[in-house]
Amino acid sequence: MKARTVRLWSVVHTWTSLISTLFLLLLCLTGLPLIFHHEIDELLGYAPQPKAHASAARATPQVVADAALAADPGRVLQYVSWDKDEPGLVMAFTNSAPDGPPDNATLRAFDAVSAKMLGPVGVGPMLIVLKLHTDMFAGQAGKLFLGAMGLLFAVAIVSGVVLYWPFTRRQRFATIRDSAARRVRWLDWHNLIGVVTVAWALVVGLTGVVNTWAELMLNQWKATELASMVAPYAGKPPPVHLASLDDVVARARQAAPGMEVAFIAFPGTPFTSSHHFAAFMRGDTVLTARLLKPVLLDGETGEVADTRALPLYLQVLLISQPLHFGDYGGMPLKVIWAALDGLTIVVIGSGLYLWVARRRKRAPAKADAFARRAPVPL
Amino acid sequence: MHGSSDPARLWIRVFAAPILLAAATITGLLAALLWGTVGQYVAWVTVGAPVLVVSWVWVRRRTKKNVRFSRATRGN
Repeated sequence: MKARTVRLWSVVHTWTSLISTLFLLLLCLTGLPLIFHHEIDELLGYAPQPKAHASAARATPQVVADAALAADPGRVLQYVSWDKDEPGLVMAFTNSAPDGPPDNATLRAFDAVSAKMLGPVGVGPMLIVLKLHTDMFAGQAGKLFLGAMGLLFAVAIVSGVVLYWPFTRRQRFATIRDSAARRVRWLDWHNLIGVVTVAWALVVGLTGVVNTWAELMLNQWKATELASMVAPYAGKPPPVHLASLDDVVARARQAAPGMEVAFIAFPGTPFTSSHHFAAFMRGDTVLTARLLKPVLLDGETGEVADTRALPLYLQVLLISQPLHFGDYGGMPLKVIWAALDGLTIVVIGSGLYLWVARRRKRAPAKADAFARRAPVPL
Repeated sequence: MHGSSDPARLWIRVFAAPILLAAATITGLLAALLWGTVGQYVAWVTVGAPVLVVSWVWVRRRTKKNVRFSRATRGN
């Protein structure tokens, strides 16, 4: 590699890293507790605990929906969801209107058997950490900005791999030059940790970027696929009386055999049309549980209107979520995720240190050169 | 330092370990998603491999330092 090429890649690596450093540190630091958010919420008492019911019959979806509306008078139901990993719980989202702003939504957990309200979900200190991590309290603009920082991170990683060759070709793999200056030792650690975590960092970084585009993708789906699915209902007013949620769930199961309901979106909410319920169905494996299939049902009669697989870009979004969160391989994978997050913090921190150290080293040299050029006073 | 001056062999020696670790990481990330419980076990080993490498280098370095320190103190 020519010296000029190395210099060019070095400039790319330095500036893409520097511009994104502060935000990447924020993402890594807030991401660390988010890996264990279930455990932290349980520890702090913010995770609703269902009562143990030995083989008791589960409350019907409509009973849970009625309990959710009774718990939040004057508001409407947006979504009811069933978590595969929390079979004892049913979650209900209420809001001021079906299309009310997400920040106004209230999420409550209900006992799957007694339909008793167990308490609010998604509150407490982890909510602040989550908001910082996803949009820095700046809404969609914050999300897109962090997505752009994620793209810079990816460029920094790729340019770092290119620079790995000229910086390490004279050394054995994993050499840390103990006898050298502290800056050189940190350069060796930076190169080693950076190159061994490169695949993980790229996957987590790019899946994070994809997640920041979630709302744009959802809007695209609504404007194209969903619009064509509900085209026969164009001009029809929103339903006056909603179909029973029990019927909606039963018919959605019939329309998607072998699948379970992940969540139901009520008519008028962002995930469906103003006239339809949308039942999002999931499979029973780790992969198919993520790849949801929507079933549209008439809001008044509960009859199935249409069902089709999600387009590729939404499937990519759904697959990117576990790959970003690291929540699909049990506690050991979460611990490894946390360790890799910690190593990424070391890479970012050491990169910043190396940049500062190099500038300090250059400053006296520049001053000397300037002094040599300066005219000698007579 | 590497003994070989052949650029292709040198390139392989520099990038062999990082490429293997990257392949292991990708395999593990997909295994946990596609192969159920067995895939989870694969993921623990392969995604954890970079952490093991860094830990190994750190421990090796500490051990070397301790050996040097004890030799120096015995020498005194």
